[in-house]
Amino acid sequence: MGLAELFLIAWQGILSNRLRSSLTVLGIVIGIASVITLMGIGEGAKLEAEKQVQALGVNLIYIRPGSIGTSGVSMGQGTAPTLTYEDVLAIKENCPAAEDVAAQYTSSLQIQAGEKNTLTTVVGTDPSFPDIRNFHTAQGRFFTVQEANDSARVCVVGDGVVEDVFSGASAVGKKLLIRGELFTVVGVMEHKGANATGDQDDQVFIPIQTGYSTLFGLNLVSGRAVKSILVQAKAGEDLQAQFQITNLLRLRHNIQSPDGDDFTIRTQMDILQTAQSITGVFALLLGATASISLLVGGIGIMNMMLVSVTERTREIGIRKAIGAKYRDILMQFVFEAIVLSLTGGIFGILLGLGSAYWVGSLGQWTTVVTPSSVVLSFLVSLAIGLFFGIYPARKAALLDPIVALRSE
Amino acid sequence: MASLIDLRSINRVYEMGGESLYALKNLTLSIDTGSYVAIMGTSGSGKSTLMNIVGCLDRPTSGSYSLDGVDILRCSDDQLAEVRNAKIGFVFQQFNLLASMTAIDNVMLPMVYAGVPKVERYNRAVQVLEQVGLGSRLYHRPNQLSGGQQQRVSIARALANKPSILLADEPTGALDSHTAEDTMHLFNELVSHGITVIVVTHDQDTADHARRIVRMRDGEIVDDTVCS
Repeated sequence: MGLAELFLIAWQGILSNRLRSSLTVLGIVIGIASVITLMGIGEGAKLEAEKQVQALGVNLIYIRPGSIGTSGVSMGQGTAPTLTYEDVLAIKENCPAAEDVAAQYTSSLQIQAGEKNTLTTVVGTDPSFPDIRNFHTAQGRFFTVQEANDSARVCVVGDGVVEDVFSGASAVGKKLLIRGELFTVVGVMEHKGANATGDQDDQVFIPIQTGYSTLFGLNLVSGRAVKSILVQAKAGEDLQAQFQITNLLRLRHNIQSPDGDDFTIRTQMDILQTAQSITGVFALLLGATASISLLVGGIGIMNMMLVSVTERTREIGIRKAIGAKYRDILMQFVFEAIVLSLTGGIFGILLGLGSAYWVGSLGQWTTVVTPSSVVLSFLVSLAIGLFFGIYPARKAALLDPIVALRSE
Repeated sequence: MASLIDLRSINRVYEMGGESLYALKNLTLSIDTGSYVAIMGTSGSGKSTLMNIVGCLDRPTSGSYSLDGVDILRCSDDQLAEVRNAKIGFVFQQFNLLASMTAIDNVMLPMVYAGVPKVERYNRAVQVLEQVGLGSRLYHRPNQLSGGQQQRVSIARALANKPSILLADEPTGALDSHTAEDTMHLFNELVSHGITVIVVTHDQDTADHARRIVRMRDGEIVDDTVCS
């Protein structure tokens, strides 16, 4: 018997009990649709995380001071003020694979303009910051190298700060008091949104030299600590840059063994991998949850096929009497199960695409339905029909024709 | 020349609660090609068991059975299915048509299992349905046909693969006497075309149409008469 013929026989069997067949198919539809939707949400989360990491900049290397700790007790990263502005200058000087370097010193300070004041994060940094972080000004400009070298009292504000203290009016050229010190606003940053480290729009940027001399209470004598160093590696030279920086810092800090590093160095790739492993687990959990409903749908098929075999015992007897072999009966019922589950699979994929789109349109989640998840769902529904259909089909094919003919 | 059906020392034993029940006891029977045989007996006489064995639906417990030269006891289940498909046509008391299929689909079914190509299948089905006088009812479902018409569809189905034997189990049991008469005439006609017809019945009128009557009781043949 050809495939078309088997399909036709299976289709006739399915149509002979439409209501029951539709309900069984519904089980698979729901299972496949939830797999598609939830995998879409998982994929979306993965993509979103990747986008955030990419938004940090290009070929970014992130260096932070190490932790204070003795015999296994750590106070947490950044608790030891081991990185200084001299390290930043040394990296700029000595690491050929580093395209650009920017120091960061952050402090939470009160700012005031007119009658409005608020607490915000003040970031002391270098003029190279916008290019390295891929975070640019929307109005005005960032401060210049000249202004940085002169410790000029200029600042660039995030667009959240504009909302808070300038009531959304144009801020460029206005005066801003930072902990009582007078600064001139020269630019406003573009809107960036929040990331894992906090609200990036609620920040005020000043030249780090100005910060040292006025706000941070640090000078050449006390040591000009930095809270992190951002390095942009030359294209394709991330690893060399990481290697050069590690060696340079070990040399400067007199570190002999790799275990004693008083700094941590992470590339954008490391951050990306961390994000991917978290969202990967998330996607897996979602997928596993959805698979349960698919399993239940499969059991529904088996149940329906068993009832169908019992009801159609006489038909099986007749078919056997007129010459159907074991394989003919087996294929008839396996095909029936596969047609059921594939029908469910196809409608499930359509429903899943629809509901993934709908969830995405709500705005809370990004959903991405990959072609591979569609293909996978199709194959899984095929496998379900085969797996849950084979037992009832075998039962039918092994029936004794005389017993089967006698049944009512 | 060897007989078409050659049963020798056939026993069919059912084990029930430690007791052996002989449905057929040391039965020997030969039937030649082109004969018209009625097998008679009351219920429990073993005539249905005999029909199942002759029809290759069941295997004897012991003995030998040669059908058209094939040793049936050596056949696997699938080989028996092939023998049933190619050599035997069944006509059941309850017609046993598939209710969801039209008359022509029912008739084409044995040819589907035989692997007959589609066009040939269709042509042959139309031909046998015309032969039994149902040329105008090809696309009716069983529930749209009278008992006699359903009977004729089941005969057409039995003839689809040009079998050498037509095996009928109480063919007139569910028919009125007039329709029963028509069926018997149809059987006579088939015999004249060289088909061997075996009718299992308890009805004397039905048996009277046959040329040979085999009577059974308690699993044994008690009388075997060739009518003149």
